[in-house]
Amino acid sequence: MKPPLFEYHRPGTLNDALALLGAHPGAKPLAGGQSLIPAMNFRLAAPDALIDLNALPELSGIEETTDGGLRIGAMTRHSAVELSAAVARRAPLLAEAMPFIAHRQIRNRGTIGGSLAHADPAAELPAVMVALEARLTLASIRGGRVIPAAEFFTGLFATALAEGELITAIEIPPPPPRTGTAFLELARRHGDYALVGVTVTVRLDHARVADSRIVLFSVGEGPVRATHAERTLAGTAGDEAALRAAADAVQGDVDPSSDIHASSAYRRQLASVLTRRALTTAMARAADSAR
Amino acid sequence: MIVEGNHFFPGPREVVWALLLDPAVLAKTMPGTASIARVGDDRYEGTMAMGIGPITAAMFDVVITMTDRAEPEHYTMQIEGRGKFGFTRGKAAVTLASEGAGTSMHYQADLVVGGKIAAVGQRLLDSVSKLMLRQGLDAMTRELEHRLAGGAA
Repeated sequence: MKPPLFEYHRPGTLNDALALLGAHPGAKPLAGGQSLIPAMNFRLAAPDALIDLNALPELSGIEETTDGGLRIGAMTRHSAVELSAAVARRAPLLAEAMPFIAHRQIRNRGTIGGSLAHADPAAELPAVMVALEARLTLASIRGGRVIPAAEFFTGLFATALAEGELITAIEIPPPPPRTGTAFLELARRHGDYALVGVTVTVRLDHARVADSRIVLFSVGEGPVRATHAERTLAGTAGDEAALRAAADAVQGDVDPSSDIHASSAYRRQLASVLTRRALTTAMARAADSAR
Repeated sequence: MIVEGNHFFPGPREVVWALLLDPAVLAKTMPGTASIARVGDDRYEGTMAMGIGPITAAMFDVVITMTDRAEPEHYTMQIEGRGKFGFTRGKAAVTLASEGAGTSMHYQADLVVGGKIAAVGQRLLDSVSKLMLRQGLDAMTRELEHRLAGGAA
């Protein structure tokens, strides 16, 4: 349980970090290290060098933006997001998801940017960010760019990050009025990888569903948007029959894998059940906020 | 682990059959293949580099033996792979059927994966196999289209 030999760099500024990443093509940025370090200790990962981002205070913190949204530094720990009153107020879906991320000890160390860059297919945050239409700010020695979360996740552990590029911040837009959100996941034990998880947002307009976003995880190669289900729901009153129809449609939107914990068919069924429950909760919350 | 599915090739069955058994095409299309050679009538040996996400690519020695080969319709592969991170062994059955101007392929593989990679990455084996297979079959389809359009190997 000891990693292979690697070079270690601990830059004190973002520019130094980006320069180091640019100069070491075999290097990996080290955020909270909750996935990378175990992989190195198992000797499954063997980066030539680690660029430790933990001495870059400018990458941490939660800021309420003037448009009513949030800007969260990539190195912000999960625990800080979980306990933030600003997050609870402005992005309740994110606040609801946080306690499901692994265990307390891991949340104390793991970072929001690290989780997004890792892009585990069973991770909560990628789905939440797609559902909230978050934008990721990326930086490299060549410059910066902003990318929508939906375009950031490109496959199994695959993202739009280029060689030498880092996530520096996540911007979450303000929730539109008359919107309700909900998060649900099922795992064999709390803190295990989810068998299936779902995040939903529902926006009402005159007691009709104006639009919704239904994004699942642990059912494919990354966050999976249930577009058929969203279309089924659009324009309905969001009553029980409509939610059931949308939940049925989810079965055609996902293509889950089998493993020793759950078969593909079981996960597909579970995706449908969890979606119906999450939509029911989100509808009630949207109706409350419209009152 | 069972990996099963269908794939449609937009070309005649004899051409698809030849592609599937051509080591040069396999080396070009199968993800991570560093080398593959036909060392006997029914035996292929090669090395593949496999890695995903944070896992640094590791080399695997792979031996494939063909059994009950019935050109151009059906063959079975006995597969054995061994590397630093673990091993795999099992068999894969491939059936080709003409469908219009194209060929529909059915495959069913039954593989055992063991060692470190299975202990740590069990939950991902199914997804990774599906991903690699899809990349391989897509690359094979492009190669077929290239050849049918008159291109060389």
